[in-house]
This record gives sequence, structure tokens and C-alpha cells, in this order.
Amino acid sequence: MTNKSSILINGIWWKASGIIIFLYVLIGGMLVPLGPGVTAITPSNAVAGDTVVLEISGYNTHFTDAQNCNAWLKLDSNHLIKAYSIRSLSQKKLKAAFVLPDSFPSVAQVYTLSLVLDNEFDGVFIQPAALFVSAKTVISDALSGEWKNNFDIVFHERQGIFFPYRSILNETIRNTFFHVALWFAMFILLLIGVVYAIKYLRKGNYDDDIISSSFTAVAVMYGVLGILTGSVWAKFTWNTFWTNDVKLNMTAVALLIYLAYFVLRGMHQDQDRRAKFSAGFSIFAFTALIPLVFVIPRLTDSLHPGNGGNPALGGEDLDNTLRMFFYPSIIALTIMGLWMSQLMIRAMRIKDNILTR
Amino acid sequence: MNSFFRVLTVCLFSTPLLAQGAEDFLRSTGKIYSVVVVICILFLGIAVFLYRLDRKITKLENQIKHEQ
Repeated sequence: MTNKSSILINGIWWKASGIIIFLYVLIGGMLVPLGPGVTAITPSNAVAGDTVVLEISGYNTHFTDAQNCNAWLKLDSNHLIKAYSIRSLSQKKLKAAFVLPDSFPSVAQVYTLSLVLDNEFDGVFIQPAALFVSAKTVISDALSGEWKNNFDIVFHERQGIFFPYRSILNETIRNTFFHVALWFAMFILLLIGVVYAIKYLRKGNYDDDIISSSFTAVAVMYGVLGILTGSVWAKFTWNTFWTNDVKLNMTAVALLIYLAYFVLRGMHQDQDRRAKFSAGFSIFAFTALIPLVFVIPRLTDSLHPGNGGNPALGGEDLDNTLRMFFYPSIIALTIMGLWMSQLMIRAMRIKDNILTR
Repeated sequence: MNSFFRVLTVCLFSTPLLAQGAEDFLRSTGKIYSVVVVICILFLGIAVFLYRLDRKITKLENQIKHEQ
């Protein structure tokens, strides 16, 4: 008789907590509004010295409710031009008129200006690369009086909790809780799986193989779901189900290695050899997963937000309001994964009991 | 196993249909419905997994019944 490792956690409380946390993520993640943003600006080109009237389309904005709408065109933090007149057509449409100066502080063919909008309802928000201004041939050193700097302006701040608006991503930023968290949960489950694989190789206890393969099975299910959800997300942001993005291809390779684990596992008839083989294979697959998913995508550029270089979980990509739901989502999905793998472990233990009777 | 792959292929092939047939709807209001699709896939995936596990356990129960 093999002795059982105490992987099973008794009680209903942890299962219930997983469901409750996931419910919190589901409800909160869907109900928290998106911050204000700009969807379109016309025209997008102008010539220095012109007077330009921008028609701005907003998302989740309150242009008519707000009393103090302000707009600036920003070259850098020291050089802003304030709109001389602003008219809101509706909550989501705004017209702002600017007098572009003849002279710019630096010499270039084309200047890229960002649009800064501010009102007391939405707070301050920025649309990068909003207007391209072609330079005039005459460039004088003396700056004309329209330029202001950032430091005299007092911006409003939006009250309450909201997710950051990112162009292209829009509302799909919420997928962070359901797609990205899935990969994190998968990794935690695979880690548990590989720990038990090592344990099997050291002690030769067949029960550890049951545990290891159950965790790996649930993790691979999460991985397949991660690919599918990512594919749908890509359709709406990158406009294709699959791109040749490094991260996509490398995770596909990693997942195929894990699918091979189950195919090869099924080929072995002898229980002992199967267990030994799968323990070895899962250590190999896990060590292959780390460079494939964590190293290679960072060496090159990736379409994924916050990739290329060393993103970690910092910077502007994961804002504090997103963290409020992202980390609980990882915890909830991990708990649900634990639950599912425990069900598998229990079933496989019963099967083992029948076979060895 | 067979039925699992059948459900999986249905899921796989229904998403492009969904995306093409109702593209405008799915892209409306800041693409919020694509998030709904993602949550549905997550739910369906877990449901399929539990269904497979259910069948596995039923098989074991039958085996025990036969032996008794």
C-alpha cells in the first residue's frame, strides 16, 4: 500500500472563499467604470502658425456637465499651448480652438503634440500624439507668447475608482483579470505539479505521481483557456486571432510540450514506468517553460502591453485600481484550480485502489 | 475524451463565427462584449473539464458496483 501525502485540504471554507473572491473579481471587474479617454480627433495635421479647431470625440467623458473644460496642446512639460475657446457639443463631443505658434522650441520637420484635457468631472487626461504640426520654413529663436509651462496649471483629479483608459484596449483592459490572471494561476499549479514530480523521483511514492499529474492536468486546461481567451482578446485589439508575436509562439510551444506529456503518459501501460517517465518529463517541461515564457519574450519586442525590456508588474501598465482585482483574481483562480485538482486526485486514488485490490 | 474534443472544436469554431457575424455588436461600447466572450470561454472551459471529471468518476463508480 502506498502512503498518502496530505495534499487534500479539508473543509468547505477555502472552496467557498475561492468562489467569493472570483465573484468579487467578476462583479467589481465588470462594474468599475473606465476612466475618460479620447477616441478620435479631427483634423490630425496642421501647419505651424495656423489657427486650428479640433473636434474631439471622448469616451466616458462629461463635457456638457463640466463647467471648467480646458484643453492644452503639449510638446513637452515646459511647452503647452492653451485653447483660446472651447465648446462642448455633447457629453462626448468637444470643439477646441488653438492658435499654433510660428516658432517651436526645437528644430524639427514635424512636431508631435499631445492633447491634454481637463475638467472637474473627468479630471485630467491625455491623448498622446494627437496632432502633427509641420514646421514653417522660418525658424526663429525667439519663442512667441503662446507657450506656457506645466507648472502654473492646476489640474483636476477625478474622484472615485476607475480603470485607466488605454486607446485600442478600451474596455478590454478588464481582460487582465480573466486572461492574464489565468496564466499566473497556471504557473502556480504547474509549480506545485513539478514539486510533487521531484518528490516522486526522490521517494518513489506512487501517490505523488497522482498529485503531480492532476495539478499538471488542471494547469494545462488553464493554459489552453489562456490561449483561447488571448486569441479572442487579440481579435479585438490586434485584429487577428493569431500573430507571430514571440510571446504567443513561445507559449504555444510550451503548451505543446505539456500536451506531449499527456500523450506520452497515456502510452505507458506499466504504472511504475509511467510515473517515472512523467515525473522526469514534467521537470523537463517546466524548465523549458521558464525561458520560453519569461525570458525569450523579454529579449525581443512583443505586442503584449508592457513587454519588451523588463516590465515586471510595475510602471503604468498595472495601475492600482487594476491591482485591486488582478491579484484577487490570481488567488481565486488558483484556489479553484486547487479544488479541481483535488477532485482529480481523489478520483485517481479511488482508481488506484480498485486496480491494486 | 472524444466528447471533450468535440466540445472543444465547437468552442474553437464558434468564436470566429461569433466575431464575424456580430462584429459591430461585439465592438460596441468600447469592446466590452469581447470581455464577456472571454469570461464565457473561461466558464465553458471549466465546465467541460468538470464534465469530463464527472464521467471519469461515473466510470469508477460503475467499476465498484460490478465488483460487488
